[in-house]
Amino acid sequence: MSRFRPSGVWGFILRRLLLGVVVLILVSILVFLATQALPSDPALAILGRSATPASLAALRRQLHLDRSVIDQYWTWVTGLLHGNLGTSLAAQEPVTTLLSPKLVNSAVLVAVAAVVSIPLSIAIGAWAALKRDKAFDRTSSNLLLALAALPEFVVALVLVIVFATTVFHVLPAISTVPPGSRPWNNWVALVLPTITLVIAVAPYVARIMRASMIEVLESDYVEMARLKGLPERTVLVRHALPNALGPVFQVIALNLAYLAGGIIIIEFVFNYSGIGGAITEAVVNHDLPVVQALAILIAAVYVILNLLADVATILVTPKLRTQL
Amino acid sequence: MTDVSRRQLLVGAAGLAAVGGLAAACGSSSSSAPSTGSTGAAGAPKRGGSFRLGVTGGGSKDIMDGQNIITKPDQARLMTAFETLLLFDENYQLTTNGLAESVTQDNPKQYTIKLRPGIEFQNGKTMTADDVIYSFQRIGTKKFGLTGYAATATMDIAGMKKLDKYTVQLPLKSPDSTIPQTLGSYTFNIVPTGYQAYPHPQVGTGAYKLKSFAPGQQSVHERNPNYWRSGQPYFDTVTIIDFSDSTAQVNGLLGGQIDAMTDLPPSQVKVVQARGMGALVSKTGGWLPICMAIDIPPFDDVRVRQAMRLIVDRPQMLQQVASGYGFVGNDLYAPFDPGYDKALPQRHQDITQAKSLLKAAGHANLSVDLHTTNGAAGMVETATVFANQASAAGVKINVINDPNFYGNQYLKLAFSVDFWGTRAYLNQVQQGSLPTSPYNETHWPPKSGTGSNFESLYNQALAETDSTKRIAIMHEMQQAEYNVGGYIIPFFGGLIDGYGAKVKGLKPSKGTLNLDSFGHGFRTIWFG
Repeated sequence: MSRFRPSGVWGFILRRLLLGVVVLILVSILVFLATQALPSDPALAILGRSATPASLAALRRQLHLDRSVIDQYWTWVTGLLHGNLGTSLAAQEPVTTLLSPKLVNSAVLVAVAAVVSIPLSIAIGAWAALKRDKAFDRTSSNLLLALAALPEFVVALVLVIVFATTVFHVLPAISTVPPGSRPWNNWVALVLPTITLVIAVAPYVARIMRASMIEVLESDYVEMARLKGLPERTVLVRHALPNALGPVFQVIALNLAYLAGGIIIIEFVFNYSGIGGAITEAVVNHDLPVVQALAILIAAVYVILNLLADVATILVTPKLRTQL
Repeated sequence: MTDVSRRQLLVGAAGLAAVGGLAAACGSSSSSAPSTGSTGAAGAPKRGGSFRLGVTGGGSKDIMDGQNIITKPDQARLMTAFETLLLFDENYQLTTNGLAESVTQDNPKQYTIKLRPGIEFQNGKTMTADDVIYSFQRIGTKKFGLTGYAATATMDIAGMKKLDKYTVQLPLKSPDSTIPQTLGSYTFNIVPTGYQAYPHPQVGTGAYKLKSFAPGQQSVHERNPNYWRSGQPYFDTVTIIDFSDSTAQVNGLLGGQIDAMTDLPPSQVKVVQARGMGALVSKTGGWLPICMAIDIPPFDDVRVRQAMRLIVDRPQMLQQVASGYGFVGNDLYAPFDPGYDKALPQRHQDITQAKSLLKAAGHANLSVDLHTTNGAAGMVETATVFANQASAAGVKINVINDPNFYGNQYLKLAFSVDFWGTRAYLNQVQQGSLPTSPYNETHWPPKSGTGSNFESLYNQALAETDSTKRIAIMHEMQQAEYNVGGYIIPFFGGLIDGYGAKVKGLKPSKGTLNLDSFGHGFRTIWFG
């Protein structure tokens, strides 16, 4: 009996989606085990000194701790699938209500940073490869290396000092998003956090782009294309660039996924209300439903971004595409 | 509830009877009508503007309740809309400038509260004796879990009587001379009959009405045009913004996105001042004790306790932990209390003496764990600096920074660093130094010998209406604590807050709350 194996790009996407679901199921089991099943008594851990027998019993009921482990997991996962992430223990409101504005804020910041940093870093990397060992290449390589070495909060603080508090006073030093408004309502406040994130991500992408492009430019098929007498422009845009982008997409995906969970420092420095701050607060508050929801969410972002990167790599790489 | 917020509650409780002159002065209605529109070097107050305050320490647990706080932004919010019967001034002296014209002690077990007539709540309802009785009943209901509940232990709230529209009689179950301090503490606010916490309408007598509130983010408060102190307040709106980090707070202040901030890091004082902005340095009575449980070895030996107290270099501790903002302590709490015993000699570091005491006690090479947590600024630093200083005396101190410090082990530890806010002496004793105290880290008082009569002295002091005699009893209590107690109190800290160049009217305050009690409820400050 031949195995069912959907083929082509769509088949590949389907297979990767199914794999992603498997990964998420495994992650959900891990998250559940680590937060709820393994601690001997999460209710006691949450309530600490203020625990009374009555409040412990109430919390155990709320978290379904009075049921079997399998039953608890099933209740949690089915709730998750129905968009019911439970009730935050600290805020006493549904986790979805609590997190969705923060989620939008973080997503906007990451998206803006991605839209700016991806074309920019690809352009810098590609140009540096073309001008290999020339002034632009050397300057950009050293500069990017230096920027990559700086921790994000240092970059953020330097930007704040230069543009907001000390040298110039042209941009707001903090980017608080008032409740009820959206980040784009006050886009000026997004400028400094965005630049910080671009500086955090762009060096890696630009450097991998440069390396990848150099490799491609030295390849036989580029030489072939040149020998064929194709205009240099066509050689670069039609033949070199698509092939060079493959590895870059992977790096972009990893960097964006990192941003999804890693913009916490940026959120702190700019007092930007996003999920990074929500994670820390939830951990400090032992707010189990919020911690679980965010862990699953960030895992899902990783899976989706990697899937997108793989698909994009396949699409730009004819060799891989035809193998499917 | 998190560990941190438990401690925040504790600091909040400090407001229950913050330090100040004892009751005597309060019985007589000593003061004239409250003065408004204070002038001074800052010039005459001006109306208008939107005041934005950045506060750290908040989160999704933020609440608004006229008689309760969980986080620090809650303290600021409370001050916008609610007021107390008596009022502490910036020197922590109790005044009758609050909602009550007078609070009179009729006898050791009864007080009479006379309200200032004609004060209206923000919804236009006149404040009367009924509202006062409701307010006390609400605080005194245990299941509500309000900050002030513990202080109602001596009050016979069910027996409160309305004598006329503006007069209330408050009987006590047992004598309690600290009642006036309690009535001036910031969570003992008067709310209208039927009042409930947010999301119910927030109606107080205060200078600003709540407009919007998003926990963990910000709350906006509008000027109350009918405020009873004529002319005040000056701002059109007050916005209280949550910050998760002081770096963003300082940047927001420097960049002009906020007008004032709580808890300016000492390292930033010069930065802020260099930019023409202000750093409000207030010497408060907050303290970070090193606590020795007097019934757990090795600290059950008084010689070990004394040795530990002689090991501390207090001025160095003040410098290293609080950047010098504060004043040196003498192992006794409540330094602003008129009953604070100033006659006891200041303890200094004496390593030789400490060594010989330890040797005599058979602990020449003492090694001991010191537990603490990142609960309040300076706790871990206090432990670390102490460990350093102790090594000079051959004592090895192993600092344990335990995130779950306030979990199961708290109050059962032999050796720990904790923190407390400002309180009057007897109120502090009630909170931390009696067998019945909720947070007795040192397991004081001892069962025998010096100090064993501590609890009976405390009860005598509560019942004593003559302040000279009461102070004599308090001195006797402090002598016992000074000689054989379990606290090391190296210094009393301060509050440092930052404010923008155009903010006028702030004065350094000895109170528990930041920014001169948040500009006395945002009504004594203005934009110049």
